[in-house]
Amino acid sequence: MTETMIHLSGVTRLFGGVKALDQINLEVRRGEVMGFLGPNGAGKTTTMRILSGLLAPSEGSVAVAGIDVLDHPVEARARIGFLPENPPIYGEMTVREYLDYLATLRRVPAARLRAAVERAMERCGLTGVQDRLLRNLSKGYRQRAGIAQAIVHGPDVVVLDEPTVGLDPIQIREIRALIRELGGEHSVLLSTHILPEVRMTCQRVAVIHQGRIVADDTLEALENRAQGNSIHFLRWKNPPTPERLEQIPGIFHVTPREDGWLITATPETDPVPELVRLSAASGWDLRELTQAGGSLEEIFLHLTTREERPEEGSEEPSA
Amino acid sequence: MRAIITIALRELRGMFHSPLAWTLLAVLFAICAYMFNAGVLSYQIQMLEYQTYGMRGGLPLTERTIAPMLGNAAVLLLLLMPLLSMRLIAEEKRQGTWPALACSPLSPMGIVLGKYLGLLLFLAIAIALLAIPPLTLYAFGNPDTGQFLAGLLGLFLTAAAFGAVGLAASSATDNPNVAAVISFGVLLMLWILSWMGNASGGLMDKMLAYFSLLNHYQNFLSGVISSADLIYFLLLSAAGLLFARQRLMAERIQG
Repeated sequence: MTETMIHLSGVTRLFGGVKALDQINLEVRRGEVMGFLGPNGAGKTTTMRILSGLLAPSEGSVAVAGIDVLDHPVEARARIGFLPENPPIYGEMTVREYLDYLATLRRVPAARLRAAVERAMERCGLTGVQDRLLRNLSKGYRQRAGIAQAIVHGPDVVVLDEPTVGLDPIQIREIRALIRELGGEHSVLLSTHILPEVRMTCQRVAVIHQGRIVADDTLEALENRAQGNSIHFLRWKNPPTPERLEQIPGIFHVTPREDGWLITATPETDPVPELVRLSAASGWDLRELTQAGGSLEEIFLHLTTREERPEEGSEEPSA
Repeated sequence: MRAIITIALRELRGMFHSPLAWTLLAVLFAICAYMFNAGVLSYQIQMLEYQTYGMRGGLPLTERTIAPMLGNAAVLLLLLMPLLSMRLIAEEKRQGTWPALACSPLSPMGIVLGKYLGLLLFLAIAIALLAIPPLTLYAFGNPDTGQFLAGLLGLFLTAAAFGAVGLAASSATDNPNVAAVISFGVLLMLWILSWMGNASGGLMDKMLAYFSLLNHYQNFLSGVISSADLIYFLLLSAAGLLFARQRLMAERIQG
């Protein structure tokens, strides 16, 4: 069961001379849910559009379930379900008509159509609204209908672009449970910038930043890696400048947060005594100091704010 | 093939879900029926005058009543088809439903054909409706059925060519209004191309005359179905569809 269902290799995409994607390599195995993280504009959507055949890569190769997307676009698309950022909803159709329509286009045989649509509605919690017009449904239901169209034809690969944006907390929880359930049967590539979502749904994580994959590993491995560095959260009444903090030996990165600062130091040095001494001596008035540990948020901040650090650059996926 | 028909039927149903298609049919029918009645009335008056002067025989009925109505119907469709075709692809892109279609296992040509077939089905309904007023003539006179049917065929082919141009325009933009303006402009230009075709009789003039929609349609109206005219309309439609297909292919590359 280690068959590769999504395979991107050396994918580069130019938009009018600007590199939106730069040599992307990505693999998702059968039954795996992969989180695809990155700040806005990093290239998540472009990657997903290339994967689902909406865009052609400028360079590189893309395969879905072993089928080359460029050589056999139609066959490859039969194996994929895609939920774009805005669910592709025909307002004048009912939920059932909509799924019937798209299931037919996705080559679900007429004899199995009804069962396939029923199942997709059931999995996405749409059975109760199946005869309502999509136009009249709430954002949450439309989002579910968008997910339902991505899975109704039983594709090997499901690509979801920020599926929980704009939903209320209960809906988010339901959708996440659904996504977790989708893995196993489908291979899922899930883009998001909500980090807890990744923890709840994904086995592996790829982080993209400025069009390049800067990390691709299991969640634990990423967290272990971050724990190598010591990360502290500090809050001062009169905070110093980040430049001043970076002069302290051992500290190599300072990330401002709304309420304070995340400070990253190399594992060999403990910056805490020096920080405390300086805070007292310089009148910064320290109010809080906690060990932040290797939470996903910090990993993410590292990878996307200091992507030029050598140890991260060398940790490309071994493919 | 199943997918193409599925798209076509959805397209047709979508048109009737919006008030646009209904309004369009109502306006088309009302104006054509009015024109037809006016044509029949003036025919009656002319016949009376004719007989008053003791002339034998009569005026050609179909030529004087059905043909002018169908001729005017084409002009009306020239105005209305861009409104009908503008949404075919552009609206999907604007509404964000395009990815659902474009990610389905269909070739760009499959999508284009499905959309076009939907439009043709609508046209078939519209033209069937327009055939009703002339049919009433059979109760009172003896219209030339051949000429009538040739006219209907000509109208269908003309409107189908309008639709193909409209589909091409709709594929070129994600704003339906822009698509309507483009297709209206192109169609009107094609319609009036022959205006400059009578200047000197040179090669240029002949080409202009050949490419003019009006000239080819006129032959159908006078009851002549020639392969030259058939080929002209088929080529024009095919050109529109191929353009749309190329646009959709290029979009994947250009983004």
